[in-house]
Parts: sequence; C-alpha cells; structure tokens
Amino acid sequence: MKAAAAALVLGLALLLMIPAASFLYEAGGPDACARCHEMGAPVGEWRHSTHRGTPCSACHGDALTAGARFHLANARRVVQHWRGEAGELAPLGPEGIRAMLPRCQKCHQQEFASWSSGPHSITYRSIFLDEKHNSTRHLMDDCLRCHGMHFDGGIRDLVEPLSIKGPWRLRRPELLEEPAIPCLACHSIHRRGALHEERRLEAKIAGPRQEKFRPSLVFFDRRSMAPVDVALLPLPAMIDGARPVKTSPDPRQALCYQCHAPLSTRQVFSGDDRTPAGVHEGISCLACHDKHRQTTRASCANCHPRLSNCGLDVEKMDTTFLNKDSRHNIHTVKCADCHPRGVPARRARP
Amino acid sequence: MPGRAPILYDSVKPIKGGGCLKRRSFLAGSLAAASACRSKPAPAAGYRFLTQAEVATLGAWVDTLIPPDEDPGARGAGVVRYIDLQLTRWFRRHQSSYREALARIDRWARSRAGRGFAELPPDTREELLSLMEQGEADRDHFPDGGKGAFELVLAHAMQGFYGNPRHGGNRGYASWKMIGVPPVPVRGREHYEAARTFPEKS
Amino acid sequence: MPLPKVDAVVIGAGAAGPIVAKELAFAGWRVVLLEKGRWHTSADCRKDDLRNQRNPTLGYPFGPEEEGNPRVFVDLNGRERIVKPSEPGYNNNAFCVGGGTLSYGAMAWRFHPNDFRMRSTYAAKVPRAFENSTLEDWPISYEDLEPFYEKAEWEIGVSGDLSGDPFKGPRRRALPMPPLPPTREHEILEKGARRLGLHPFSIPMLRNSVPYNGRPACMRCRWCVGFACEVDAKNGTQNTVIPAALATGNLELRTECSVREILLDEKGDAAGVAYFDREGRPWEQPARYVVVSCGAIESARLLLNSRSRLYPQGLGNRFDWVGRNLQGHTYTGANGLFEEIVYDDLGPGASIAICDFNHGNPGLAGGAMLANEFIRLPYQFVSGIRAPGVPRWGRAHKEFVRRAYRRIIPVLGPTQEIPVFDSRVTLDPRVRDRFGIPVARISGYRHPHSIEVSEYMAERAADWLRASGAVKVWLRRAGRGVSGGQHQAGTCRMGRDPKTSVVDPWCRVHDTANVYVVDASVHVTNGGFNPVLTIMAIAYRTGAHLARAGRRA
Repeated sequence: MKAAAAALVLGLALLLMIPAASFLYEAGGPDACARCHEMGAPVGEWRHSTHRGTPCSACHGDALTAGARFHLANARRVVQHWRGEAGELAPLGPEGIRAMLPRCQKCHQQEFASWSSGPHSITYRSIFLDEKHNSTRHLMDDCLRCHGMHFDGGIRDLVEPLSIKGPWRLRRPELLEEPAIPCLACHSIHRRGALHEERRLEAKIAGPRQEKFRPSLVFFDRRSMAPVDVALLPLPAMIDGARPVKTSPDPRQALCYQCHAPLSTRQVFSGDDRTPAGVHEGISCLACHDKHRQTTRASCANCHPRLSNCGLDVEKMDTTFLNKDSRHNIHTVKCADCHPRGVPARRARP
Repeated sequence: MPGRAPILYDSVKPIKGGGCLKRRSFLAGSLAAASACRSKPAPAAGYRFLTQAEVATLGAWVDTLIPPDEDPGARGAGVVRYIDLQLTRWFRRHQSSYREALARIDRWARSRAGRGFAELPPDTREELLSLMEQGEADRDHFPDGGKGAFELVLAHAMQGFYGNPRHGGNRGYASWKMIGVPPVPVRGREHYEAARTFPEKS
Repeated sequence: MPLPKVDAVVIGAGAAGPIVAKELAFAGWRVVLLEKGRWHTSADCRKDDLRNQRNPTLGYPFGPEEEGNPRVFVDLNGRERIVKPSEPGYNNNAFCVGGGTLSYGAMAWRFHPNDFRMRSTYAAKVPRAFENSTLEDWPISYEDLEPFYEKAEWEIGVSGDLSGDPFKGPRRRALPMPPLPPTREHEILEKGARRLGLHPFSIPMLRNSVPYNGRPACMRCRWCVGFACEVDAKNGTQNTVIPAALATGNLELRTECSVREILLDEKGDAAGVAYFDREGRPWEQPARYVVVSCGAIESARLLLNSRSRLYPQGLGNRFDWVGRNLQGHTYTGANGLFEEIVYDDLGPGASIAICDFNHGNPGLAGGAMLANEFIRLPYQFVSGIRAPGVPRWGRAHKEFVRRAYRRIIPVLGPTQEIPVFDSRVTLDPRVRDRFGIPVARISGYRHPHSIEVSEYMAERAADWLRASGAVKVWLRRAGRGVSGGQHQAGTCRMGRDPKTSVVDPWCRVHDTANVYVVDASVHVTNGGFNPVLTIMAIAYRTGAHLARAGRRA
C-alpha cells in the first residue's frame, strides 16, 4: 500500500517534471531557447525575420500547452539532446505542422480563410484515397513531394494496399482530415525580412516585390527535409516544340513550378505544367491566380476591359473555368483559335 | 590466433574522448554530465564540442582550404558547424584528433609567427597548411609532420562545403549556387493509366 | 524454436533470391524469404551527398547498420583491420529488401558469349592471364542463359536500344522499352565514337523509359545511383517479383532476420536454417530446400559458418573452394574537360556505351564495356575528380570546381577480372557480429593482368573523350587491392568437378541434395559488364529448374 502510494507520488512528480522543465526553459525567452545548440540557428534566423515580434511560444507552444504529444515530443528531444543524437535541424514533424495551423490563422485570418476555401487545403483523404486516381495510377513516394510533404515516412507507411485494386485505407487514420499542403509547404516563418506589423509598406508594395521585403516563400523539399528559399528554385526555360516560350520573370512562380511541373523536356503543358503559351504568354501565374485561394475568376477583369479589342464578356467566355475540355484553355488559347481567318487589325483607341 | 577470446563487435574499438556523449540513458547521462564533463573544456555558445578558441582556429583553417571569393568560403558556409555537429555524432572517434590538432597548429603558429593561427594573414596560413600537406610541419608540434591532421580536416571541410545543408554545412546551398546548378530541379511526371500488371500471371 | 516446415527457404532478398522465390511461389511452393535488412522507402534515404548507398561518409541508408556488422580486411601488406560498413575495405553491397537493386544504377547487360569461355578463348593467345590465376570456362554457355536473360528483361523491365551494338550475343527478342532520350553528354560522345569508327548505342537499363508493369516512366531526376527511386521507375526485385510473389499468397517475407547457419540432417542434406529475428531471438525454419542468395561475401560466409560433423570446414567446402576467387570489377577510364557546358541535369546520367573493347584487344584477355558515368553530385565530384596540376585545396581548387563541374564527362568501364585463388573470403577466427556469428575476412589482390587490361581500357576511354572534343583528358587508374564491392562475385564457383568448384551447373552445392547458391557467387568469371542481369538470369534459370525438378510436399 505504502509502496503504491510512493510510486503514485513519484509518478505524478515525474509527470509534472516535463511541463515544469518546459516552463523553466521558456522563462528565459528566446535566449534560453538558443542555449541549446539545436535551437541556435533557428533562433538566430528568427531574430531578423518577419516574425521577430512574435515570441517562440506563440507558434511552438509552451508549458501550458494542452496535449501530451507536445510534452512527450519535447521530452524525447531532451533525451536525444543528451545522447548527442539530435540533428542540427529540429524540423517540425506532422504533429508540429498540424499544431501550427491555428497559430498561423490567429494573425493571418484572411489568408487562412482564402487557403481554406481553395484547392490547396485539400486533405490526405481526398488525395490518397481517391478511387479514380488509385485505380488507374500507381501510388509512389514522389506523390508525397507535393502532397503530404511533412509526412515522416514513405508512401508504404501511409496507404495500403499499394495496388490498383483497393480498397485503400490510410495507415495513419488521424491524418485523414488533415491538410496535405499546409502553410509550411510554401512558407518559412523564420526567413529574414521586414516586420509583419509594417502594413504601411505592405500596402505600397505589391506583387513580386513583396517577396523581396517580406520574404516567406519556400518549397519544403522533403527529399532533403528542408525549406528551400524561392530564390534558389529554378524558373525553367520552357519550350513549345522548338520555340522558346516567353515566361514572366516573377520569381514567386518558381514555387508553383515545383509541383505544377513540366517533364524534363520542358515542353509547355507536359506533365502538370500550366505555363501560358498563347495570348497569355509571359504572364505570371500570380497575375491571375489568387495567392491562397488560387481562384482566377475576378482577375480577367483586371486587364480585359482595358486591353481586349474583341468586346467579349470575359466573365462568360468558354474557358477552362466553365468547361474543363474547352478549346479555349486560358493557358493555351491563341489568337488564331478565335480568328481562324487571321487576327483583325487593332483598332485605334478613340 | 586460436586460443584467444572472441571479440564482440562493440568491444573492438573503444571510442576515445567520447565518454561524455556515449550515454546509455538519459538519467545516467545527466548524472555523468555533472561529474565527468566538468573536466572537459566548455563548448562555445551554440556549439556542441568545439571551444570558442577552437572555433576560431578551425574557421581560419577551413577558410584557407576553401577561401571566400565571389562565393562564400568554408567558414561562411557553416563548415565549422558541420564538423562540430559530426564530432558529437558520426565522427566521435575524431574528437581527440581535433582537440590535439587545433591546439598544435595554434602553438606552431605562435612559435613560428608569433600569433595564433586564426590571427595570421591568409598567405601565412596557406604556407603552414602546405607544409602540413607535405608532412613537413615542425616535428616538435606535429610528430607526423602534420599530414594526418591536414588530411582529416581537408576531407571534412570538403564534405561540409559540398554536402547537403541538412548536416550543418553548405549553408544556403552555397556550393550549389557556386557550381550553377539549382539545388532542387523542376520535374513533373507523365500521366498514364496503370492498366498493365505484372506480365506473368499464374 | 522450430516453425512449420516449408517447401523452400530463400536467404537474401537481393537481386537473385526473390526471383527464385517468385518462380517457386508461382509454381505453388510454400516459400519463406529471409532478409537481414528492412524494407525501405525513399523516405529512409534523403537526397544527400554524404549519406547514400554510393557515398557512406555519414553511413549507409540501406544497410548494413554501422554498428554490429563488422568485417575484417587484410590489405596488400598483410595488415588486418576490423572495418565497419562505411569504412574502406568492407566491400559493401546493400542489406535490404531489393538489395543492391533498390539503389543501383540499373545497367542491364547480358554477358558476351566469350565471357562464358575465357579459357577456350584466351588460353593459347594470352598465356600470362593464366599464370597464378583460376581463369576458367563456365560449365554453361550464353545460349543456355539466353531465354532467361530475355525473361529478366521482360519481367523486371529493361529499356534501351541494342541495335547499334554489333558485338552482342544472339538474341530472340528486342528490349521491351525504348531508351530514354539522349543527354547532352550522349550526343557529344556519340559524335566522338563515330569519328573513331566505334559503335555507340544506348545503355540497356532496368529502368522504365515509358510506363511499364503498372509503374510510371523515369522522371530523370539527378538522384539515381545510390538512391531509391521516388517514382518507382527503377526496376528492382522490391517492386517487381517480390510484390508479385507476395500476391500469390505462397510467399512469406520476413525482414530483419539474420541467418546463423544451414542446419543439416544426418545424411548431410539441409533440414532448414537457424536464424535470429530483430530482437535477437533464435528461430529454426525447417525446409525441403535451402537457397542461399546473400551476395558473394555473405553467401560464402554462411556456407563456411554451416559446419557439421560431415563438413567440419563448412558446407560445400570439402576441397577448400568456398570463398575463393573473390572478384568484382577493375573500374578505370578517363575524365574529359570540355570548353562548353556538358551537364544538362538529366538523370540518370549514364546513357551511352561502346562494347568495341570487350574482347579481341591485342595481347589481352578480355576487356570492358565503356560508358559515360551517372550524374555526379557536388561532393562526389570533389572527392573523385580533379584535373592534373590542380591543387587539392585553396583558391585554385575552388575555381576549378566552379568552372569544371558542368564541363567534365567521365567515361569508365568495368574491366573483367582474372580470378585469383588467394583472393578470398574466410571466417575471421576472433571477430563476431552482434549475434556472435563469425564475420567475413577479406584478403587477396588483383591479378596483374587485370591491371594491365584496365590500363588499356583507360587509354581507350581517353581516346574516346579526345575524339569527342575534350580539351584536357586524364586517366582514372585502379589500385591493386582485392576487389569485390557492389559487383562482388566468384566465391562459390559453378563447375562440373566437385574438386574445383562449389556448385553444379544448376547452382546446387555439390555435396548436398537440396542446398542451392544463387547469386554472383557462382560466377566463374564476372564479364566486362555490370553483372546484375546475369545474376537475375541465373536466378530465373535455377528457379525454373527447381520448380520443375524439385520435390515438394
């Protein structure tokens, strides 16, 4: 009886020690975090980042965070640290990524809402249990490059069976409703840049220049488990047959190209490529596609009432938006598609 | 040879100088840390093994091997961090070699040029390392003429500079930028219908 | 602890074992396939210069684990040292499901017909290749293997175009897939070869160039040799015969199982195997047939460790031939520096080959296929390639890397080695692995004629590069130490005479009725080519033979 009570007390004490240790660790602020060499580099980066006004705990959680996983993961890290087994990088696992979402949302309400209503908020269920896909195409590790990039295993650890027969199920059912392309697929919070609060600047600077003063765009490359700055990602020199295709120099597109990628031949529209190669050639993806929602409908009107000579109602045009098999695919449509007998001369503006 | 006791794998090569890091468990480790590690020099802030002075000396050493020019040098690309990290992991067996070599090159520099290795101008550092490469360093300081230490640091510097950034070196993919190949290519896949199965069905 | 008896237990899920297992499982046999390593995904091997199956600076991702799997290596001066997997001298291949085929470069060569009759071809012409060597003819011919080469090409999946190779052996059927489109290096080297009157063509590869077997085409990334394929376009046993055999329900694959020895009955035939599972628990698996497919070093080690009253020197080792004739390939060639950029970042890199120098070289026995190399990652480049006169470090070295990285083409070839009786695998009397099993001890040297041929091949590679427009060319030479590595072969020689070989022409260990060795161990000679397709063909041949002739319950 006595022994049981003692064990209970000891057990409770040990259990409390974990959050208590977290508390002690956090009390010193970011400097205390940086005392551990694993944290040195990320804290150093954070000091010059757009998020330097946001304390570590706002994103990474603190001693008061509910959830045993959080504290257990911390305890595991401490053990690794003491054993000298912790890596130089302390990347977030799928649990950490999941915990990040509401924290991003807290400040970035608009962006989060847009992303949530757009195709990039797709879940593991929709991606990996899609019958039509799975019955015609082979699931492979490379799928995870663009969906589920933070998943800490291979495709065999995620879906079974790996055949075109099915029925398929996720081996990690807790991921079913989780987004497969979370914020951190495309953003790194620690990148050097101006403070988020400086909205004054943001209002003045739009488009690709925004990435320059408030950079966050990265591609989380699971092949090396690291976010790669968009500035290091290549913009492919696309071709249409033998003809070089003019592409926008907007560096942000390099991120789109990682997944909406052409084959190694760099032919437009090969693989998953969507490089505009007709009348819209040379226009950046982001000129039409909303950054987070990816919708484009409203964007036609940005240019067309002013530039178009055709007098067409762009809102009602037969493009890919209304009809997937449209001959007037916005990415490929050429003048000659509508003017088979030659493009009429441009009328002088009154 | 017969008659001798069989050797089990983990008793073959005792790891020198790795005592502080060869912990069997967290608890044992933290207890050991209090006593055993006290005699060890304190690592520099943000480092695991190298002291402040060693970081400076090794930085100057690797920067002589891969000097900064229009592209970052080894130090700027985080090679010291790569070596420090691996000295507590994969290269534990080299801990004492590093500790000795860094102290020796510094003493040698002081006796020869009156200043620590890290304070020497690049030309003099190159000169000293060339002598070591040929095994002609002062035998009072390097019994083997410096060849062993030179080769060790050269190999690790090249790994840190040209290897993957996830190991602490090649910061910002410095060497990939230098050779003009993007660290991540653009590659899509062909869409296809997986109609065929394994050719032979029973 | 004994388990229910099965028809066959196959040890090793590398290039050969799974093929035998699949043939037997398809024939209705109940088969257990034991593998020492794990079944990996590419998530276990990030795209990392320093940690892949070709560069183990920070360890091997696909095994063996660094601790607990030592070997002993004896160098040319007789100095012995205990080596861990990532250390020089270990002669590693992968330890995992798929074995080397999970992460190989995947060249799919058939041996040349003359590779099977080296003695008949060269005994009179090149007598010095036979001094202090065990150079011999195979007991089987190219024609015996031809149908099984074809089966491997179609079942595992090979792309390429051999129509431009006039030296190839006769074949009934073309390859199932066309080659990948040529790289810039391919185009440059093709012109050079034609200029010299040579016969360049697209390398046959166990890689999908178009969707095949339900899996997609190669996406041409740069992380190929040494890595697992993210799109599953590289064809190994792990994505072909193993899933197919598992689907029959007749095969059970057990990973992380280390076999200690083959158990024998009182007649000297195999009763099964004894192994340890991942927790180190001992098991016994009784079987009617035992197939050993662990690679030349580990297969020899297992036979030598299977001692009994009848075979005190190890199973099949009555005449001291187990572990002998260890050989790999003597890789030599040249690097060529070009004015223009030759690097186009299209994987896998290796693309064009010539077989003009595999045989018929003046005064030499054998030769090698020559081909351009796989893509070099930056650290591979730096650790392997440096022009003469360029210092190893400092400003000038950095400048060299910056300028030359995209301007160098290496051409290399695997020179066929002259087997040597004293290049061998034995058991180390003292060192044991984590289960207490005696480990392999590797010793020996390369035959001087292997070096001589390899020097000649390096010169031919240099000629080819010069004719292709290289402004500076330098040779890559070979050392004299014993070779094995990923192409390890020869340690359980196939032959008709039990006094000078270990297995018969069907790969059955001479002394026994039911133990087979099926991997490159049985190669009498190792060809001037990457050996995997030959290993696979022999496995198909033996598998078909066993399924036909074997007795099962």
